Amino acid sequence: MSGRQIMSADELRRATVRISHEIVEKQAGTNGLLLVGIQRRGVPLAHRIAAAIAEHESAQIPVGALDITFYRDDLSLVAQQPVVKGTSLPFDINGKTVVLVDDVLYTGRTIRAALDALMDFGRPSVVRLAVLVDRGHRELPIRADHVGKNVPTSREESVRVHLVEVDGEDSVEIERMADLAGGAPAA
Amino acid sequence: MTAGQPPGPPAVPEEQGVGVSVAVPSVDAAPHSQPVAWRHRHLLDVDVLSADETELVMRTTDAMREVLGRPIAKVPALRGTNVTILFYEASTRTRVSFEVAAKNLSADVVNIATATSSVVKGESFLDTLRTIEALGAGMLVLRHAHSGAPYLAAEHFGGSVLNGGDGWHAHPTQAILDLYTMRRRLPGGTVAGRKVVILGDALHSRVARSNIWSLTAAGADLWVCGPATLVRGLEAWAGSGVGPASRRFTVTSDVNAALRDADVVMALRLQQERMSGGLLPSLREYSARFGLTRERLALARPGALVMHPGPINEGVEIAPDVAEGIQSVITEQVANGVAVRMALLYLLAGVRGPR
Amino acid sequence: MNAASGSGSNVGSGQNGATGPGGALARGRAAAASAELEISRAWLVDPATGREGPGELVVRDGVLRAVTWLRGAEAAGVGPDGVIVVPGFTDLHAHLREPGDEAAETIASGLAAAAHGGFTTVCAMADTTPAADEPGVLIRVRALAAASGSPVRVLGVGALTAGRAGERLAALGELADAGAAAFSDDPAPVRSASILRSALAYAGMLGVPVVEHAVDPGLSHGAEANDGLVATVLGLRGSPAAAEEAAVGRDLAILADVVRDVPGVRLHLAHLSTAGSIALVRRAKAAGLPVTCDVTPHHLALTDGWLAGSRRWAWDGSDNPWADGPLAAAPYASSLRVEPPLRSAADAAACLVGLLDGTVDAVATDHAPVARPDREVEFGMSVPGIAGIETALGLLLAAVDAGRLPLARAIAALTSGPARVLGPRPASTAPGLIVGARADLVVIDRSAGWTVGPTTIRSLGAPSPLVGRDLPGLVLLTIADGRLAWEASGA
Repeated sequence: MSGRQIMSADELRRATVRISHEIVEKQAGTNGLLLVGIQRRGVPLAHRIAAAIAEHESAQIPVGALDITFYRDDLSLVAQQPVVKGTSLPFDINGKTVVLVDDVLYTGRTIRAALDALMDFGRPSVVRLAVLVDRGHRELPIRADHVGKNVPTSREESVRVHLVEVDGEDSVEIERMADLAGGAPAA
Repeated sequence: MTAGQPPGPPAVPEEQGVGVSVAVPSVDAAPHSQPVAWRHRHLLDVDVLSADETELVMRTTDAMREVLGRPIAKVPALRGTNVTILFYEASTRTRVSFEVAAKNLSADVVNIATATSSVVKGESFLDTLRTIEALGAGMLVLRHAHSGAPYLAAEHFGGSVLNGGDGWHAHPTQAILDLYTMRRRLPGGTVAGRKVVILGDALHSRVARSNIWSLTAAGADLWVCGPATLVRGLEAWAGSGVGPASRRFTVTSDVNAALRDADVVMALRLQQERMSGGLLPSLREYSARFGLTRERLALARPGALVMHPGPINEGVEIAPDVAEGIQSVITEQVANGVAVRMALLYLLAGVRGPR
Repeated sequence: MNAASGSGSNVGSGQNGATGPGGALARGRAAAASAELEISRAWLVDPATGREGPGELVVRDGVLRAVTWLRGAEAAGVGPDGVIVVPGFTDLHAHLREPGDEAAETIASGLAAAAHGGFTTVCAMADTTPAADEPGVLIRVRALAAASGSPVRVLGVGALTAGRAGERLAALGELADAGAAAFSDDPAPVRSASILRSALAYAGMLGVPVVEHAVDPGLSHGAEANDGLVATVLGLRGSPAAAEEAAVGRDLAILADVVRDVPGVRLHLAHLSTAGSIALVRRAKAAGLPVTCDVTPHHLALTDGWLAGSRRWAWDGSDNPWADGPLAAAPYASSLRVEPPLRSAADAAACLVGLLDGTVDAVATDHAPVARPDREVEFGMSVPGIAGIETALGLLLAAVDAGRLPLARAIAALTSGPARVLGPRPASTAPGLIVGARADLVVIDRSAGWTVGPTTIRSLGAPSPLVGRDLPGLVLLTIADGRLAWEASGA
């Protein structure tokens, strides 16, 4: 990896734990709480948050996975269809508090797609958003309820979240787009 | 994800993952491997699919099955895409399957059946294609009585062509849904090494031909069984190794030898016109000698899968108690057909032509 | 390549020749009236005498004045790979489509195409609309040929039965009087054995050969392709070799019956395509039956593998076009729809052997242009036919280049062979380099080739399956009846 590290593995862990506390605090408990990770790095993050809640609240929060591929607003623009990674919401979301979890919040388009996808499964009473990194540059009126770290970036930069479950290590890096071969922001 | 990426690699690096059903929590496997890229603008037959591409179709079908299980079984993936379904042959089942698949992806669907089109007025096939394209069709699902017609369509149509069955030649979506159904139902999830029997009028069957390609490629021990008049010529194919040299299969008129220890038995529809064409003495005789009865099925392995592409002539090529029996996966084939067609429409929509 | 000249556009200079790779020099002018030509140091092939070798010839006022065979040092460096000069070709079998289907071909376009292909005599088949079953159509075709200004000679083929319907004999005597070179219902076979028997006897009395498209209509009904591996894999309705062979067997049996009473009877089997047919004719000839036959260039060079996307010549391919992996071109090209269908590589090889051993008398093109709207359709919907009169020479030379066919045999199959099939009646002189006769010859640059394409083809119909293909042998000049019929542009 060629980028500049902005979060170490320790910082990443602490941010995850802090978010887990915030979620419980905001909900005033764990009743009716569901975590839904957005494919793909949102999914392991959601599982980590659930594990942290289990540790300090002794409560098992159900975790789902949401693939927003079919809801993307740029399907007609991309050169090739993205590979679908699968959606799994093994619970009823009606009347529940759903916390969407993703790694990076950027333009807000992914979250827009995730909200659309989620609504096709039912009518949650509340939807909140937890992200590890908010890098700004929103293109839609969307904000996060829980943020691990606010990182000022330029549009020419890319924020890369690496997770052990997916990438073999925990870290967050920032790099110039020019350094990337055909890459684009992860969110 | 931004517009204006150079074509070719996916704009976002995507990792391989497993499509999961509702019941299974998401587990991402093989995190560092890159998925195979889908490169086909048209799907005219399964002969062009590599093993990796077939896997991609299978995984995407898994995702579509999950969509079908949702309270609202509809996603906006093909919103704004015009899918025209042009059928030159009567077929309610396949046409509806494509229509449901396209609508589940939020495509705009235009249905053209021969009876209602100007085809009957002598408009040529190419005229029809040009008209359909001018009316904004981005994808064409084509059913045609002439073998090879989709290749002509692909040459002249600016969008994607998905073959919904051409003459005796190919029925790729059927072969893929057959493979998908077998893989879901067979222990171990693979057809490799399994004895699969295609029973009946293979000579005049596009289902048989596409299944020969896909099942031999998947490593099945494939047997094609039927009366000599209805499997004539297939022996030359079976022994010639068309495609990679390992792709061989067995052709026989000995129904007992074919069914013995089979893992899958797929009965084919018998058309009435085979009698008028002098290829068979009578339906009764066919049924007596080649019909899939409970007694014959007993030759196969216990729990062997019973399949049929439909529509069924009950009591002719398959006995009613077998078609509706516990080993039958015929209705599952129909359900999987929608998911497979959704997957293919989705994948094809991502590949654009030079125009 | 700028090897020879006959310069209609440069009358009077007479000096715009060039030296070809074999050292040949062709110099002259060919005005509309009669050709002037001097060719030195070329390779001459004369099927009339069986001679070939280095030589020179002179044409004055459209008459071949001198042929000189070179020897020793004079001949050094002159070979069959440079400029060659041969007699003009005769096509036994061309569908010129006029009257009736002028969108596919006209007499004028067909004769221009013929001249481009090196043909100076063309048998125009009778399946026009209306059919040539009485003298009127033959006379009209001749008038159209004359009006076209082409020096290529048209020999009319009369229908064998009225309306080519196979039910009663056409006006055979009147057609013979009007100059019919042969009688034929092609592309229809004569369904009734009884009618064929009568027709053979009556035509035999008139001294006119009967040309039969031998196919059993029951076995070939609805067929789209050769019955074999390719048709099986592609899901096309197959016409078995037996469909042709059963008809050949029937026709030969009837011929044997008729010849006992009518010794002048002659049966010509057109465009045979299977190994079995060639074997049947070989045996019939050995038994002394008055039968001749031809094969087409496409049945020699192409196979049913082309339907699947193969683009290998028959002699380079196998019967399994997939044997070497995926195929280059898209399958089901309508331009390959033809009757009889393209057969297996083994059948093509048997046709070539028949040509080599004399079982096959001639190569005939079965030039059958198809109008675009009739071709740009589904494979099985296409009107069958390959417009082959311009590519016949190139396909035979490809076989020559592959070492499968001696050059002299290829030329004989296009000249003396067809003349023998037609017999003495229509031909004033046998094809050959005959001093004192009206010049009737083709000058070919064997060191050059050409690419089949819309700008190089003169035929009107839909594109040939060979479009885009490079063929060996560039026809520089075609001189028919002492007049210039074709001149390569830039020559």
